[in-house]
Amino acid sequence: MSVDMNTTPNLPAGERARVPLSQRLGGLGGNARQYGIFGALVVIILLFQVLTDGKLLLANNVASLFQQNAYVMILAIGMVMVIVAGHIDLSVGSVVAFVGGIVALSMRDLDLPWAVAILIGLAAGALVGAWQGFWVAYIGIPAFIVTLAGMLVFRGLALVLVGETVAGLPPEFISIAGGSLPNVLGFVGNADVVTLVIGAVAFLALAFTQVRARQSMRKHNLHAEPVGVFITKLVLVALGIGALTVILSFSAGGTPIVLVIVGVLVVVYSFLMGRTVFGRHIYAIGGNRAAAALSGVSTKRVDFWIFVNIGVLAAVAAIVTTSRAGAAIAAAGQNYELDAIAACFIGGAAVTGGIGRISGAIVGALIMGVLNMGLSIMAVDPAWQQAIKGLVLLLAVAFDLLNKRRAGTR
Amino acid sequence: MSDEARVPLLAMRGITMRFGAVEALVDVDLEVHAHEVVALVGDNGAGKSTLAKMISGVLQPDAGIIEIDGEPVTVPTPQAAAALGVATVFQDLALCENLDVTSNLFLGRELRSRWVRDDGQMEEVARRILRSLSSRIPSVRSPLSTLSKGQRQSVAIARTLIGSPRIVVLDEPTAALSVVQTAEVLTHIEQLRNLGLAVVLISHNMTDVRAVADRIEVLRHGRNNGSLDVATSSYEEVIAAITGAPTEPRPAQHAPLRSSTTAWPA
Ligand SMILES: Nc1ncnc2c1ncn2[C@@H]1O[C@H](COP(=O)(O)OP(=O)(O)OP(=O)(O)O)[C@@H](O)[C@H]1O
Ligand SMILES: [Mg+2]
Repeated sequence: MSVDMNTTPNLPAGERARVPLSQRLGGLGGNARQYGIFGALVVIILLFQVLTDGKLLLANNVASLFQQNAYVMILAIGMVMVIVAGHIDLSVGSVVAFVGGIVALSMRDLDLPWAVAILIGLAAGALVGAWQGFWVAYIGIPAFIVTLAGMLVFRGLALVLVGETVAGLPPEFISIAGGSLPNVLGFVGNADVVTLVIGAVAFLALAFTQVRARQSMRKHNLHAEPVGVFITKLVLVALGIGALTVILSFSAGGTPIVLVIVGVLVVVYSFLMGRTVFGRHIYAIGGNRAAAALSGVSTKRVDFWIFVNIGVLAAVAAIVTTSRAGAAIAAAGQNYELDAIAACFIGGAAVTGGIGRISGAIVGALIMGVLNMGLSIMAVDPAWQQAIKGLVLLLAVAFDLLNKRRAGTR
Repeated sequence: MSDEARVPLLAMRGITMRFGAVEALVDVDLEVHAHEVVALVGDNGAGKSTLAKMISGVLQPDAGIIEIDGEPVTVPTPQAAAALGVATVFQDLALCENLDVTSNLFLGRELRSRWVRDDGQMEEVARRILRSLSSRIPSVRSPLSTLSKGQRQSVAIARTLIGSPRIVVLDEPTAALSVVQTAEVLTHIEQLRNLGLAVVLISHNMTDVRAVADRIEVLRHGRNNGSLDVATSSYEEVIAAITGAPTEPRPAQHAPLRSSTTAWPA
């Protein structure tokens, strides 16, 4: 999850020393705020682990934590890019319902194979995104308005399309959200070997990229973090991935398929945001749109593709949601945009744009998810759950702002 | 030299620009040769920045032509300007506060190795450039939001050293700089001239202008109001051209204008 170790956004301020603090912390994955979110997640997990008498981290609960919250994480990835560029997307919930309807109808009424239906859904998402991106990027209508309109338009179209519940979907499709990777490698004790292998491979790949990055810093005579810090970081990551892997390997199915989907998306998008020119331009546009344009960034093109991208990710969320429900309904995806936006802001994205990370948004989504699950296990009234989540969002952003003010930036 | 002198590297002819009722520029001409620093001076609102933005592809003239090497060109976008070899330091700096120094230096011109940004290479170049400008920037990884106005200006100027521009436009590059830093920028401008570039320097600071410019072009109310050779023209002549006063009477406050960077006698 710390693949996006770009040194760019939001380093801690107040650095005049020979080797600035940010530089010493630089390789750690960016900034103190980032550790803050991870820390908060760990604290919340431990808190609910105690409050639920250890039920929170039961293997099956951890697996369903991912299955229940996959849609938020998928949407938050797209949303954080939109927010970093200084926009917002209010339409994703409606798009989930609309695309979900298209996918379900192509399987049930058009009798298309589920894989084809999925491709059609992704294409529909891209078209929706292109439509909204066109108005935002090339006509210059604020994204708030365009996507507010989109929220109404696509909810309306979903209602037209899905008059009544579209059920009777193929089992392969249903298993996307509920299923797990087949346990082809058997079991060690009760632990699914496939899960253990995936965990090990994930850690090794991550460690490998970090070591490579470090070597390349060395090659260019750049300041890299001290070996001790680097190793500590790797050990912590190993512990995190290790714990998750072991717990999941004891769950009923092993590795949930949605976790693989989310994992792949996180890696791909962290790379996109952290290491590519396109990612850099998204940050630049969010920081100072006019300056980016003067510097030769094609701001319109970047804006357009950001919206196409979130359209496609909304389609992925639609597939997961429809699969999980086992049917398409017109009311699907209600308030999903708010979940995704909240995840981004809890995860450290700035309301003004220019700051935010994929990993932060994922952790934000996990914090909300753990809250949900913990409170549900404790049988807290859903009304109170909602109120508590609202307060967490407010406090997270307030904490962030106060921190920044104390640091003297902004 | 004489060959180059015949065909200016940059020529703007008959440039006219209106913003609604405001005539920002009327039939303005400007020529800059290689190996030449031309200072563009004039009162606030005289149209200097507007003219600069046309060279940089930010604004398009309502009328008039721009030539580079004697060839008429259109500069529809900042990207087009960069492709034509024009680098600009804008008056309002045009930097991204949330990005670090290296990212700002290379913004829009990032180095790549295959599909990935080559951050290591960019950081190395950034360090070398900042060292050559002896800028007082703590680290190339500092986000711009942590830098002072003058440090930001150094970053903006350093941008002109990336890529290999042939024409450099500097819109009030020394406005926020200390004496030492100003001297370094002036040295930098001289280096650009020695490298054979054409430099347009917009400044309100006559001392700076006299120190580095070969020629002074005066704009007044959006029109050409005199072209003066630095070597032969007096301070009073320049002031007169800027203010539109007759040449003889000296302006009341003729004291060193070194410190007053914006205020000119009305
Ligand atoms: N985008 C714009 N819209 C409307 N009017 C403008 C715009 N840009 C410039 N102007 C007008 O054009 C005129 C010239 O402005 P310009 O910025 O070129 O002046 P300047 O010579 O650079 O002044 P200064 O020394 O204050 O920087 C001014 O009257 C200004 O109000
Ligand atoms: Mg100006």
